[in-house]
Amino acid sequence: MFLNVYKKINHFLFENKVQTQLGLTRLFLTGTLLFLALSRQLNMDQYGLDAIISRSEALNIYPEFYRPAFQYFFWSDQWASVIHFGLIILLLIAFLGLSNRFLMLITWVIAQGFINRNYSMLFGADLIGTLFLFYLSFTDCHTCFTVKSIFRKYFLKNHIENKSNQKNKSIFLTEFKSEISSVFFRLMQFQLAVIYAYTGFEKFKGSTWWDGTALWTVFANPQFSQFDFIYLRNFPLFFSIGTFITLIFEVYFPAMMMFKPGRYIWLSLGLFFHLNIGILLGLMPFSMVMLAPYFLFLDQSHINLFSKYCLNMIHKISKNKSISESV
Amino acid sequence: MVMLTKLMNQFRKIILFIIFIYFVSMMVVLGNGSSFLGRSLGNYYTPVANLVGLNTTWNFFSPDPAHTMYLRYIVHFEDEYGNPVKESIENLFPAEETNGDFRVHVRRMSYAMRFFSASPERLEKYLVPWLCKKNPGANRIQTEILYSRIPTLEVASTLSDTNYQDLVKQEEINQNVFKCL
Repeated sequence: MFLNVYKKINHFLFENKVQTQLGLTRLFLTGTLLFLALSRQLNMDQYGLDAIISRSEALNIYPEFYRPAFQYFFWSDQWASVIHFGLIILLLIAFLGLSNRFLMLITWVIAQGFINRNYSMLFGADLIGTLFLFYLSFTDCHTCFTVKSIFRKYFLKNHIENKSNQKNKSIFLTEFKSEISSVFFRLMQFQLAVIYAYTGFEKFKGSTWWDGTALWTVFANPQFSQFDFIYLRNFPLFFSIGTFITLIFEVYFPAMMMFKPGRYIWLSLGLFFHLNIGILLGLMPFSMVMLAPYFLFLDQSHINLFSKYCLNMIHKISKNKSISESV
Repeated sequence: MVMLTKLMNQFRKIILFIIFIYFVSMMVVLGNGSSFLGRSLGNYYTPVANLVGLNTTWNFFSPDPAHTMYLRYIVHFEDEYGNPVKESIENLFPAEETNGDFRVHVRRMSYAMRFFSASPERLEKYLVPWLCKKNPGANRIQTEILYSRIPTLEVASTLSDTNYQDLVKQEEINQNVFKCL
């Protein structure tokens, strides 16, 4: 009995070989954070000497319970722009898969520093994205979907064998790294489920969510909605059903991730839900940050099937293009 | 040697298991940090949570989605007797021209407005000194929140023939006057 439990925990926590999933998550997460950082470069006045919140007050603005013990922004305000440009470069390196665990941790420290420096102008995407960047920096997310792996695949086919021979020499370290990666992969899964559950629970406190009219308040607010949806007041059931689906989706997300059929239905619903939020409410970075960890719930075989399908499509399109050009 | 390696393997797994349990419990407890559980166990988690960025609650569009709001400020330039020495400046924060601009860097300022508007203390401590600095010679700043209350879905759908803008209730709330120091 005890041995059985031990084996199950061991398998659940330490034996996840999920480099493909981690690679895809890295690609989407760092890509989104890169976009956010590029746009924040235009807000650099709020991180420098002219900021509304002075450097000395940056941590005081936090509620006491949530105040960080020390400030991650190790740079002076004069250097904010330069350091932020460095962050952009580091995120680009991570996006291309040229980073490593140590560099990713440095990237995270700087990203966290900018969060600490001006707490007033944060998006949910900044907070969640940076938190996932922290988890991701402990994983093997730099093996798949990287510039290196593409280069090796097409130009250095023998390189992989040579490399694997080298790796055998430090098997202890490799195993340890793999176990850390596996544990943090599970942590990311739990984190996403917890975020959804609490987001749902918090909504129950609000009368409009309980009443089924919250989505109307969101879509009718010109500060949230990119398009004019006022005409939809003629179809009030649209908002009511949408509100309840949102609640059910968020609250039941953790439970649905536990078994495969439910997981795929919920992930599809989540994809639809977040793309809608992204397009209609102009919150695409938030949507992408939430969708990036979805890859961690997919089976390797399904990712392979999907990538095969995509590659076939690309081949077909390029073939058709070349035929039409020759004609 | 084999025995030692095995022991080392077990040891590192135990450490990783403890880290895993600690992080998962931290996510669960601090997700509702203000609860009794959060208050009781918070001391074990907050030092780490505040370092890694888990020091946040997950409440998007909740408990209720916010209504439309703008922060208006009037900068007054007066002499020691209260006589205006220069025409006062009236503006919105962020500037009115950015209303309806959904670009990310513009939206950040809109989020900042909501953050500062949440309490007069934040306005007094952070935004007002900044506005005073931006307007040399100013001696007092008047602020107010322009609140456009979105009609309930029932009202909006029942009165669908009425012009929507007539159903939106405009309010001016939280009027404050702060001195420039």
